[in-house]
Amino acid sequence: MSELTPLEHEVGQLIIDTLNLEDIAVADIEVEAPLFREGLGLDSIDALELALAISRQYGFQLRSDDENNTHIFSSLRALAAHIAAHRVK
Amino acid sequence: MTEERLPLTLHAPQDIITWHQGRPIRCAEFLARAAALAATLPPAGHAVNLCEDRYLFLLAFAALLLRGQVNLLPPNRAPRVVEEVAAAFPGSYCLVERPQAELALAQHVVDVHLPAVDVAVPALIPAAQLAVIIFTSGSTGTPRPHGKYWGDLVRGAARARARFALARHAGGTLVATVPPQHMFGLEFTILQPLLSGLAVYGGRPFFPEDLRQALEEAPAPRVLITTPVHLRACTAAQLHWPATSLIISATAPLSAELAAAAEQTYGCEVREVYGCTETGAIASRRTVAGPLWHPYDGVQLHCADGHCTAVADFLREPILLNDIIEQQADGFVLRGRDSDMVNIGGKRASLGDLVQRVLSIPGVHDAALLLLDGDSQRGGRLCALVVAPELTEQAIFAALRPRLDEVFLPRPLYRVTRLPRNDSGKLPRGELLALLEQLRSGDGVQ
Repeated sequence: MSELTPLEHEVGQLIIDTLNLEDIAVADIEVEAPLFREGLGLDSIDALELALAISRQYGFQLRSDDENNTHIFSSLRALAAHIAAHRVK
Repeated sequence: MTEERLPLTLHAPQDIITWHQGRPIRCAEFLARAAALAATLPPAGHAVNLCEDRYLFLLAFAALLLRGQVNLLPPNRAPRVVEEVAAAFPGSYCLVERPQAELALAQHVVDVHLPAVDVAVPALIPAAQLAVIIFTSGSTGTPRPHGKYWGDLVRGAARARARFALARHAGGTLVATVPPQHMFGLEFTILQPLLSGLAVYGGRPFFPEDLRQALEEAPAPRVLITTPVHLRACTAAQLHWPATSLIISATAPLSAELAAAAEQTYGCEVREVYGCTETGAIASRRTVAGPLWHPYDGVQLHCADGHCTAVADFLREPILLNDIIEQQADGFVLRGRDSDMVNIGGKRASLGDLVQRVLSIPGVHDAALLLLDGDSQRGGRLCALVVAPELTEQAIFAALRPRLDEVFLPRPLYRVTRLPRNDSGKLPRGELLALLEQLRSGDGVQ
């Protein structure tokens, strides 16, 4: 498994803190594995929570009709890349 | 005696009934396309209406009514659940937006470009026609059917229209975050667009920014149909919202605090409806005004020995309610509900049913589900303890996914050697929590 970048680590921690995933540490998240369903087992309610946390921390809103929306949540790596490209703070 | 027939829609032909991908659909076009679709449907008695886009759902819904077929509405979209619902009606098929490979059922794709077919206006549907069979998660592990007749749906919609004075919003738009397949979504985002003067926004916005854009595109007056989960996310999002005239929330209790914040954010009243799949909406309240629910006109509650039944002109028989209800002079207050039911993010299921679905996986010998953090905003999360010596966690999870709605997928899921069943075979919650604590601290994992 490849090393986490500092932003990937930060976003991983944000996911854990936002969703109270008490039994998971950032080191347990596979950076290329899906966040939803078979990966961390997150669901649509979690997606709303995460969207809020991301807007607060990084200053932009997630959208469903972003062309690559399914891609954004496809892994921690993809989410961190999306944040890096859109963050305004 | 002639059979009573009621209009499919009260809109005039030139009225806009829905917005499809930014384009207004007028009632005449909608009816013509529904009639065209009706003519192409396979011969059958029933079809599962799986369309997510509200215009496509409306088309499928209307086409089935015009053709005399019944809309089957499953409790969720998990493939095995949809197949169970269809299996109960031999010969039935699914109406879909696009083919779904994971569904082992006959599928008919809803085509919005079929050449229009002339249809007599108003289109009339027999009041006694079975329009919908909607399913709930039953404690036995099989979805339970609830039939809805067109006349009852029309009368129930009229009661809601009067309660929320929807005539005042005629010419406006309903925008919704809920799917059309459950009772609240069906009543407020399918029946009201047909039977009140409002149009419905075709898309289903998900993130707060999606909803903001949808509201901005939708002609005013805007009525938002949503749930506490979405209201919370949108109220907290600190966006600039377009003027909204009314918000109606259901599927889970809304806190007075969130209701007050939402009223401030949107500058309009936030009202809740009370009901269940069996009854549809039967009461409402403005949440900030207090806990008292006001039954719709024509609805009576009869309570005795701790049980209440609802009687109304849109219900074929008295319906026993699952909630503990305290009647007061001007309405009623809810005091709790049947403990077998869980409500996560506004989706309800019987815990007994969910456990049955885990047990139906080959190789699972015993299983328990625990609702944790039940007081949280989302309504908790299920944790599973499973006895399955030959299976991995991943294999159990892979088998569960097509059987459960995603919000009920347990996380975490632990494999254990046995469950702490007591002498009567029951699983005391305290024992399960103690076992869970042990597992979390790393002891006793298989």
